[in-house]
Amino acid sequence: MASPSDANSSAGNTPENPETGSAAETAEVPERRGQVRLRRAAVMAVPATLAAAALGILTAQGALGVQFSISGMPFTVTAKSLDGTGFEQFGDLDNMIPNSPNAGDTGGQVLVMTSAIKSATLDSLCQSVDLGGINLLIKAGSGSTKVTASDLTTDSTELSGDASFGNIEIGNDASTLTKAGVQGKKGVFSQQSDTVHIDNLRQTNYATTAGVFKLPGLKLSFSDSGC
Amino acid sequence: MSDNLSRQGMRPAFRRWRAGRPFWGGLLLALGGAEILLTEKVSLKVAMHIGMQGMTGYLLPVLMVLLGLLILFSPSQRLFYSIVGVLCTLGSWLTSNLGGFFVGLLLGVVGSCLTFGWLPDQEPRSERRRRKREAKSATKTELQHQA
Repeated sequence: MASPSDANSSAGNTPENPETGSAAETAEVPERRGQVRLRRAAVMAVPATLAAAALGILTAQGALGVQFSISGMPFTVTAKSLDGTGFEQFGDLDNMIPNSPNAGDTGGQVLVMTSAIKSATLDSLCQSVDLGGINLLIKAGSGSTKVTASDLTTDSTELSGDASFGNIEIGNDASTLTKAGVQGKKGVFSQQSDTVHIDNLRQTNYATTAGVFKLPGLKLSFSDSGC
Repeated sequence: MSDNLSRQGMRPAFRRWRAGRPFWGGLLLALGGAEILLTEKVSLKVAMHIGMQGMTGYLLPVLMVLLGLLILFSPSQRLFYSIVGVLCTLGSWLTSNLGGFFVGLLLGVVGSCLTFGWLPDQEPRSERRRRKREAKSATKTELQHQA
């Protein structure tokens, strides 16, 4: 009834032909079905790939790491000690999402101090977020294995502890920093050092990003008191 | 006759259903969103992003899942869905653990592109190739005639 050549010649005007003769014949008839046209897909694939690559490169440079849409909820990080190699510190501005309820009279911007550490080891890390009366508490690294982080970048408003630096350079322009691979804005005060050691670290942060963050011995709990 | 009945069962029906929509595109986009959502739960262990990114970290992957399902069940709007889908996918790089640690980002971009490039009611590839070859040889002979 419907030989392959017949179907071909009439293929232009019959869109689909589900009920064709016996099963054996249906298999031979070239089916008209939806299909991905590669050139059409490339119209989206090429710009999407470029955009993804741009995002990746910017993040690798640390340019996107500090541009988080922060919630404006400060969180506290404490640690018994922090050991790091490749340390940078400079001032910056963080932006909240538009019309954030936490903006208050700050205009949605928070002046922060960005600290970047190429690789860091933290002993007895504790992190707490105040969720309006109750604190979300995260503890890690209190055992024999410590918390390690690479390309750790924190935007903090307060930082305290007993610090010692190795080979420190103070007063560089923030855009010329080299030790941790992150650069700040031009004309901003900054400092950098080869190594850093901080005892009894206490930080109030607005954003933390890390390339790799390993939290051995993680413990998550709710508590009345923060760290 | 029994052979005929089995052929009219679920699989050919599914095949027909699949042929009428950008099946893989929608499926990959939805899977990408699901993967990102999965890493967000695990992210408590891996990244310290708690309380930081508020809703956006969850909003984009949820949108990806919804757009993927919409592509499957409302394929006529696929262009709009795929464009919004690819934007959500790229945005998830910033908001949701680097797009679910690359995997969700990759699935989402590939899914969106497949959806964008999909056209209904195409003749099989081999057929198209044959016709192209014929057209080429036709113009060649024409040129020879002119010469």
